[in-house]
Amino acid sequence: MFRDPKKAGAVASPYFAWALIFILVPLAMILWYGLTDESGAMTLANIAAIAQPEHAKSLLLALELALISTLICFLLAYPLGMILAKNKMSSQGIITTIFILPMWMNFLLRTFSWMTLLENHGVINGILEFLHLPAMRVINTPGAIVIGMVYNFLPFMIMPIYNSLAKIDPNVINAARDLGANSVQTFLRVTLPLTVPGIISGVTMVFIPALTTFAISTMLGGSKILLIGNVIEQEFTLTYDWHMGSGLSIVLMIFIVVNMVISAVSEKDDE
Amino acid sequence: MNNRIRPIEKIYMAVIFLFMYAPIVTLIVLSFNRSKSRSKWGGFTMQWYLNLIHDHEVLNAMANTLIIALIATVVSTLIGTAASVAMTGMKRRMRSLIIGVTNIPMINADIVTGISLMLLFKVLHFDAGFVTVLIAHITFDIPFVMLSVLPRLKTISPSVYEAALDLGAEPFFAFRKTILPDLAPAIISGALMAFTMSIDDFIITYFTKGSGFDTLSTKIYSEVKRGIRPEIYALSAIIFVAVLILLFASDRMKARSARRTGVVKKGMNAKLKTYGAVAGIAVASILIIAMALVYGGVFSKNSDQVFVYNAGEYIDPEVIELFQEETGIEVVYDEFESNEIMYAKIASDGAAYDVLCPSDYMIAKLIDNDMLMKLDRSAIPNAYEYIGKQYYESATAFDPANEYAVPYCWGTVGILYNRNLVNGPVDSWDILWDPAYKGEILMQDSIRDAFMVALARRGYSINTTDPAEIDTATADLIAQAPLVQAYVIDQVRDKMIGNEAALGVIYSGEAIYTKRENADLEYVIPKEGSNVWIDAWVISREARNAENALKWIDFLCRPDIALMNFEYITYSTPNIAAQEMIEDEEIRNSAVAFPDEETLNRCDTYISLGEEGDRLYNEAWKKVKSAD
Repeated sequence: MFRDPKKAGAVASPYFAWALIFILVPLAMILWYGLTDESGAMTLANIAAIAQPEHAKSLLLALELALISTLICFLLAYPLGMILAKNKMSSQGIITTIFILPMWMNFLLRTFSWMTLLENHGVINGILEFLHLPAMRVINTPGAIVIGMVYNFLPFMIMPIYNSLAKIDPNVINAARDLGANSVQTFLRVTLPLTVPGIISGVTMVFIPALTTFAISTMLGGSKILLIGNVIEQEFTLTYDWHMGSGLSIVLMIFIVVNMVISAVSEKDDE
Repeated sequence: MNNRIRPIEKIYMAVIFLFMYAPIVTLIVLSFNRSKSRSKWGGFTMQWYLNLIHDHEVLNAMANTLIIALIATVVSTLIGTAASVAMTGMKRRMRSLIIGVTNIPMINADIVTGISLMLLFKVLHFDAGFVTVLIAHITFDIPFVMLSVLPRLKTISPSVYEAALDLGAEPFFAFRKTILPDLAPAIISGALMAFTMSIDDFIITYFTKGSGFDTLSTKIYSEVKRGIRPEIYALSAIIFVAVLILLFASDRMKARSARRTGVVKKGMNAKLKTYGAVAGIAVASILIIAMALVYGGVFSKNSDQVFVYNAGEYIDPEVIELFQEETGIEVVYDEFESNEIMYAKIASDGAAYDVLCPSDYMIAKLIDNDMLMKLDRSAIPNAYEYIGKQYYESATAFDPANEYAVPYCWGTVGILYNRNLVNGPVDSWDILWDPAYKGEILMQDSIRDAFMVALARRGYSINTTDPAEIDTATADLIAQAPLVQAYVIDQVRDKMIGNEAALGVIYSGEAIYTKRENADLEYVIPKEGSNVWIDAWVISREARNAENALKWIDFLCRPDIALMNFEYITYSTPNIAAQEMIEDEEIRNSAVAFPDEETLNRCDTYISLGEEGDRLYNEAWKKVKSAD
């Protein structure tokens, strides 16, 4: 649209300024704080601190719960995406009702509501009791946190998977069937590979927020379970050690960069 | 292909729907619950909806949320769309660089984005508040706009635009006439996405907001710890139902126009729907903002303010109202959960609050670090006339010359237990390690109080800095962790009242209140001894409204006010005049509210542990919390 690159630069300049000041400089600040100590001297101690047992443990637990949640989200979302895509449902309507509408009820309130549902004397146990089934003890366990993560991030998995499924040309499927593939073969060798970019984007959008959350674990874990997000949050709000908090954030960013590289590579393959 | 939905598919979709909507239905039901406790159904009521009209705090938070979201959406849409369009004229490498940078806030963890912006604002000495939150929201909204606009731009051929230019049209005019109409749906859906993300954001707002500024999210988070006000359920239910109706209405509109014209172009459909949604959101936002303006006076910022930072559930709200009425000073009131959280806040921004109410050992730490202002005695006559001399005497432990602090409340730490759920008398901390009560124990989520329990049980000093003793206490707390239901502070009270737990570590002040609500609850100070504490008002050295802060302290020391406050919070008051005015004899002579010498001799005050001691406890506490 622009014949003159200079003009293009001028129109984009507000964005350049914004991105520089509010995206890149702040990231540099985290690096600066994370790599220095209180006296301003360079140090790697804040990053090495991840090896301390309590930090390593919270990171490993966060990784574990985030992986489990991502897997559950994937297993729930893929069939749903297939149902939606196969039936060519007015995607707009369904997708808004499933994803956008709940977001208008505040995220914390929805998570808080799970407390009411899962508590020892909560709604679900009330129903179980009524049915003469044994009560379950879920609240304040890692299981409750996984439920909270799946609940909050499921839409981010369904959306990209549905989009990539809907994009598949039915003729490709028909061709596979005509060539003698059965439905399992068609799924494994045609449908699934074609949706890999969608899956990867869904996995990223679920895994990263699940790995780094602190609100969900605080609310559904009864402050008994520290994830890496909680540790970082507390460095800032409780122990007042910004250097340590920034150092641990840098560790988190390494995971994020790895994830970005994987999705960038897969996008290239897609092109 | 067979396009009918199979039953199994229907069931599957229904299950997902149930999963997504169960919490929302729960919240809507709770908004009609007469009982404030969310675990009990107390009958149907519309009370919370009616209360909402007068609830300035909630309405203000809602208005802030909407104003931030609206401005952030408009600004990010403009910047993002301009950048996207400009990108079409750039070299490939430049484009991929921009896309890379744009992706950062999308892919990066919210907590890292929030912290990075917080650090930036701190270093630039930017006052955290409305503006910082707005900047943060614009920052994470821009990518949503660009990611919606960019793909659409790819599909639009520039030839018509170029033809217009060749025919002599001004570039912007040509753009408006040729590109923009095709681009509009993508811009609108990007803007809608940005708006929704902004409304729903918590983490980034949490790190970039200052004192006295809350969006709905941060307000809710601060209330989660002690039970959410039902008015918030009511407000959320209203918003949710309004959006629901809006969606249905635009659906109906679409259907009607389809009937009239016989056919509807697919593009028309989507357009109608998005325009409907945008219009609806705009109207609803304006309505709510207007309501907040009328009732809450969001913009009528009184220049005469005092920023108060107090522990949770630690004042009669009526007292705040009275202070505002009598002095005309607007009180910006925030609550902290523990002394440590308060310290981190004041250390990072000394001017965030004027007047604080920390505990003894924390006051010593604040004095040591030169973070407090000496009090002007002549400005607070009530404080010296009515507060008992013996309390100032005790206060010399942390404020040697009585220069900084005016005692507010005092008390002990003990065990609150439910007679029906616990066998035999409770007289020792040992019971908190009894496997019989697995999952029935509530511990304090506060470093010093949790360690006090373990240290006192072993007979160690509750102020020890001996690493070996701390190690033993840490090991004990780790061994106890599997038995603990949750580490909480203000929630102990409601959970104990609601029979959610059998035993809880709690401050003496809650004993009278909880007993009133649930007669089975008893408070005991274990035989091994415990902590006796004083909380006192102090003024931050960097306070902007020191004079008003002094008025606040003096007001709270007025006997009638101190009495009124005591009757509400039921924490022991050091105000002698107020003590004498307590009418209820049982309370005046209560061993819980005013324990005898013998009990107090068993108890020790906390002293500040120094930097090294704090570090030891912090590390040990992290070990305990990550043990389970």
